[in-house]
Amino acid sequence: MDLKRILLDRFGYENFRPGQEEVIRHVLDKRDTIAILPTGMGKSLCYQLPGSMMEGSVIIISPLVSLMEDQAMRMRQSGEKRVIALNSFLPYSERQRILGQLQNYKFIFISPEMLSQEAFGRQLNRMRISLVVIDEAHCISQWGFDFRPDYLRIGDFLKLKGRPPLLALTATADEKVLNDIQQYLQMEKPIVQRHSLDRPNISYSIVEVNSPLEKTAWIKNRIAQTVGPGIIYAASRKRADELAIELQLEGVAVQSYHAGKEQDDRSIIQEQFLNGDLEWICATNAFGMGVHKDDIRQVIHDHLPPAVAAYIQEVGRAGRDGHPAAASLLYMPTDEQTTSYIIQSDLPREEEIRYYHRMLTEGHSPGSASELASLTETGKRVLDYYMEHYPLEEILLRLHGLSNEKNEQLRQMVQLVIGGACIRQRALSYFGEAGRNKPVECCSICGLDHVNWLYDKSITKSAEEKVSWDERITNLLG
Amino acid sequence: MNLSSILLFVISKMNGQRTLNAGLHLLRGKKSGQTLTDVEYFNVKPFFAILPKLEETTYTKAIDKLLDSGLIIQNEKFIKLTVEGNKRVKDLPDFHFRGWDYRGREMIFFGRIALLVQTLSYVRKGEFSFNPIQKDRDIQIFVKMLLERQPITDPGFAKKIGEELKMALLKSGMSDIQKYIFACRLTGSTETAKTWDQLSSELEMGTDALRLQFIESLHRLLPIVEDSAEFPFLNKMAFGIKVHSYLTDSAMHTKRLFDQGHSMASIATIRKLKMSTIEDHIIEMAMNDKRFPVTHFVSEELIHAVVSKSQELGTKRLKLLKDEFDTLSYFELRLILTAYKEVD
Ligand SMILES: Nc1ncnc2c1ncn2[C@@H]1O[C@H](COP(=O)(O)OP(=O)(O)OP(=O)(O)O)[C@@H](O)[C@H]1O
Ligand SMILES: [Mg+2]
Ligand SMILES: [Zn+2]
Repeated sequence: MDLKRILLDRFGYENFRPGQEEVIRHVLDKRDTIAILPTGMGKSLCYQLPGSMMEGSVIIISPLVSLMEDQAMRMRQSGEKRVIALNSFLPYSERQRILGQLQNYKFIFISPEMLSQEAFGRQLNRMRISLVVIDEAHCISQWGFDFRPDYLRIGDFLKLKGRPPLLALTATADEKVLNDIQQYLQMEKPIVQRHSLDRPNISYSIVEVNSPLEKTAWIKNRIAQTVGPGIIYAASRKRADELAIELQLEGVAVQSYHAGKEQDDRSIIQEQFLNGDLEWICATNAFGMGVHKDDIRQVIHDHLPPAVAAYIQEVGRAGRDGHPAAASLLYMPTDEQTTSYIIQSDLPREEEIRYYHRMLTEGHSPGSASELASLTETGKRVLDYYMEHYPLEEILLRLHGLSNEKNEQLRQMVQLVIGGACIRQRALSYFGEAGRNKPVECCSICGLDHVNWLYDKSITKSAEEKVSWDERITNLLG
Repeated sequence: MNLSSILLFVISKMNGQRTLNAGLHLLRGKKSGQTLTDVEYFNVKPFFAILPKLEETTYTKAIDKLLDSGLIIQNEKFIKLTVEGNKRVKDLPDFHFRGWDYRGREMIFFGRIALLVQTLSYVRKGEFSFNPIQKDRDIQIFVKMLLERQPITDPGFAKKIGEELKMALLKSGMSDIQKYIFACRLTGSTETAKTWDQLSSELEMGTDALRLQFIESLHRLLPIVEDSAEFPFLNKMAFGIKVHSYLTDSAMHTKRLFDQGHSMASIATIRKLKMSTIEDHIIEMAMNDKRFPVTHFVSEELIHAVVSKSQELGTKRLKLLKDEFDTLSYFELRLILTAYKEVD
């Protein structure tokens, strides 16, 4: 089959990117497939192309509502009109309307919680489904940094159906996560298509300091001297705000971004960053997924991420255009404790689990029981899932294991930072990759001497002219 | 204008007869019997629900500021103006809120405008791909339907809407700063909106004050585009924004039964609600209907007696009136005061 022909005709691309063609062939052969391809490599094509050739609809399960709406919009823009994004936030009447004509859509994006809705299940049973795609499949793994309890239900859902082939897509998966994906999705002898997660155009630096003040000073200095656009990741909303203010005082075009800001402002900040009005963003990990900006030159970590996988994911947002990009991580010894504290406070503790369990058996509603046990939202959802599947003691064991695993992941992250080995190779080794060639601009351990492009700062800063209210409207609408 | 100045005004209206939290409930638009009654008693409808998400800490800070600067004092539980405060109230600017009519829904109106402007700004240049500034699905669907079968790719169409918008802003009586804030919250292919923080440092005004300016400006814009053929597009954008049934859903239900001739006790039984809830509903009904038959509940003579006593004592405090009219229940007193509030 001439897939390249179809690629050109339907998508306008001359060539497949590494890994794409293989994945597409497996899918067309109706094999369960797990594709691990680096961020921005074009995972979406792996279902769009075969989907358009197969009879029936493609279901794509996606973790974030904003992410799936963004994807659906991009597909519509590129000419595929039979796309719909379905989630439980849609107004009831709209949802009913879409459900009624679901079979008319070729690509159906859904959020996982839709799977437990009966009306949706009924509708699906009447339709022909050619492929089920699980996007960001690492979210299914409790070992992962991005665990979404709702993802666990995908397995339950698939069990019910004489099911079509599955395609799991992710950019980060070590052995453990890979195992979870296979196991929870109950995939049959899946083909694992893996492409190196190395991003040769990104260089890694570790900067050791002694205090938060030194971090701030380093960042200020760095941003004064080097190019953007860039993202600074901070541990908390407060710190993100604080850094943004410090930098604003230096005249940097920067804003903070986190879940504490109102939705309109978040959209505006994203927009300003995309179109270049803002050069820097100080963000919590709330910023990133679904942000498609290709020319990000730097990612700076003001804190220690909880796991190597999380770190690689965040760093991977730089340099999607293939041009050089720099990742810097600021580290001081107390960072480990800080991150550890954040990780552990996200996990339900044994007393809380026992208490929650008791409240439930005493007939409290899950909502009030979780409040009484002071569980976090995620904690509650994880426990709810477990309690449907396992007895209490087993749950305790599992969560204990989870807590240990998280500590281990943090330990690995710390090792990456202070271990003294090549950062790139060490990071890749966690994903089972070894012995790749190092680029010239590799990492601060291998030596980063002549990174000239970083300092090639053209002074474009034009004094912003104040536009009056009616001029603005005229500029917008003519 | 800022939160403190609005509070100073509200406190002057409720002078000495309400506790600290009455203002918070009012600004948040709490739909309880007490707050709804207050709204009517004290003529503070314009401020009802202008800040639905107001945080208690923010509120407390604003109150503390007034206390510290000696404009108000707390007397037992009640808050009232000092002499200095009284003077200050006279210098306050006129407020143009219409909280009772819009109750936070003005933001939906603006969301629609923002999305419409953004869409047209791209489409008129032949660009069909952009990140919608509004994530709210209802707003997206509304704008999509509004633009159906309109000549959206015609630059003349966008221009026409731009002219209409400019004309409406001019006619609304918004201040210059309000027009500027309004325009800065619009985004599109050629101009990107500014965040509240950015506007705050540019205009040297706190974000809370900015937001109040913005809300007031929408409350000025809405009335002039509603029921107006002069602004056909904005008129459609305002569809369903103004609150039409002023009754809460629950009160509406009670009203239907009441109109069918059920007694309050019987309504309470049918609806399995507490008597006090039904009383709140009745008050709500009286408040929204000038012809509400108060005489179903209290005799004409008693009504007059209560009203004139209240004027004589210069108070609307139920406790004091209850001492005078022992045979009347608190509910009956509230009902009388609601229905026969003096118009000042
Ligand atoms: N074969 C190709 N040739 C050229 N461009 C391509 C090709 N395949 C995909 N692209 C482009 O690459 C970009 C990234 O694609 P996509 O969003 O699918 O990446 P992704 O791997 O899903 O990234 P993420 O990890 O962020 O989800 C898109 O703009 C897409 O059009
Ligand atoms: Mg993707
Ligand atoms: Zn190296």
